[in-house]
Amino acid sequence: MSSLPIAHAGHWLVNLLYLVPLVVVIAMLTVTSMRDRRAEAAEATGASASDSPASDEYAAP
Amino acid sequence: MNLRRLLAVLAVTVGTLALLPQAAVAHGVVGREDLPIPKWLFGWGATVVLVVSFVGLAVLWPKTRLEEPSERRFASIPKLLDPICGAIGVAIFVVIVYAGFAGSQDTRSNIMPIFDFTIFWVAIPVACLLFGDVFKAFNPWRAIARAAAWIATTVRRKPLPAPMPYPAALGRWPAVVGILAFTWFELVYTGRGDPSNHAVLASGYAAVQLVGMALYGIGPWTRHGDAFGVYFAVIARISPLRWSREGLYRRLPLSGLTTLDAVPGTVALLCTMIGTTSFDGFSNGPAWGEIQPRMADSLRNLGLSQLTAFHISFTIGLVTVVVVVSGLYRLGITGMRNASNTDLTTTELAARFAHTLAPIALAYVVAHYFSLLATDGQAMFYLVSDPLGTGANIFGTADTNIDYTWLSATVIWYVQVAALVLGHVAGLVLAHDRALVTFKDTRAATRSQYWMLAVMIAFTSLGLWLLSAANS
Repeated sequence: MSSLPIAHAGHWLVNLLYLVPLVVVIAMLTVTSMRDRRAEAAEATGASASDSPASDEYAAP
Repeated sequence: MNLRRLLAVLAVTVGTLALLPQAAVAHGVVGREDLPIPKWLFGWGATVVLVVSFVGLAVLWPKTRLEEPSERRFASIPKLLDPICGAIGVAIFVVIVYAGFAGSQDTRSNIMPIFDFTIFWVAIPVACLLFGDVFKAFNPWRAIARAAAWIATTVRRKPLPAPMPYPAALGRWPAVVGILAFTWFELVYTGRGDPSNHAVLASGYAAVQLVGMALYGIGPWTRHGDAFGVYFAVIARISPLRWSREGLYRRLPLSGLTTLDAVPGTVALLCTMIGTTSFDGFSNGPAWGEIQPRMADSLRNLGLSQLTAFHISFTIGLVTVVVVVSGLYRLGITGMRNASNTDLTTTELAARFAHTLAPIALAYVVAHYFSLLATDGQAMFYLVSDPLGTGANIFGTADTNIDYTWLSATVIWYVQVAALVLGHVAGLVLAHDRALVTFKDTRAATRSQYWMLAVMIAFTSLGLWLLSAANS
């Protein structure tokens, strides 16, 4: 038997299938945005640490 | 890069699902026997195309290409062409309106309704896409106003007094009202099939335009207040051709949109164009078929007549879909603002990216009305010979018939999908190009566009869902 017996559920189930790509993309974009923000924050922290006098002291031989 | 992973996941999923047998869904809601995959899978495929385009833009489009449009004149235009086209436009307008008033009041026998809904509303935007703003030359009310101004100046032998300055705050809001009114007539009003109603509407619209042009000047009113002039001019900016009195210019397709002045009402106009077309699809689907009768029943319980309840329920539906579309766009812009740390407000960003909605608006028109143009458009062959429906045969074509079989349902579906995908990819290109000049670097520009990608996917999925529901 090659077909799935979803029957009347098709009325709303098929409609939901159109939403799936949007949900997947939004989830992935949210994760990507959060990672980008974290990476930027880490970069900014690293840059400010290397600019500070304290870091200069540690960097001095 | 995470987007690459996303792309791979989507591609593998779509590929795998395409190999699966189709589900047996009741009442044939999805898929047609002549389509190789279910319709919803086209939505997934369209998402893959949009994500690929997004990644391609981020990697291969590091500098703006459209924001500094260059155009080259390649043909001159005879000075007489403008008044000749205007005279033709006025003649067509007079014949059509006369037919509406004096001809047969049968919708299919009178040229007015089919010309209005098929040629004017669908064919002209397509012509503007291909050939530039051809409507401007044939615009009948603009031609009448220019002729009246010329006659008045000649008779007075001195220039006419300067018109009032067009109120900046009014922007394109008169055009929004005009488009909403026309689509209300097309999609809600039960007397839309009556040719005399079309004639009254066309005459009233022309009168309002003449008053507007008399008050604020022909140019300013045509650019902002004339709903159809504004609508067709926005679509014509997608075209690689631009007409002016000096000549015919060619430019990069889409580049004309980057110079669109986002005055107040521009975002609303584009969202109205998308929203009203969406409602047309939605109102033909099963969801509206279940919602509308309940809404009408509730209104009748309040003491309204059946007809009034019908009109109000459809009006609520029309406005709601426009608001939903506007909300989706606003949501994307808010996301873009949060992702980019810009100093611009959400409203300013919405205006800056408004032009990206224009190809989507056109895509929706083509996708929803292509089949109408392909079939009902053929009626023009017999209607030009018998415009009043009185049995005349002016050009000998009155006996031709409409061939409803020359395009299969499958071809129509593929054209609809292609139009939607191309329109949204064009929107992404425009948004990416605008982001490059709005945000500080390519990285910030790409990140800002994550939410524009989501908006484009939302509009594509919405468009395909509406089409599949309307066709089911």
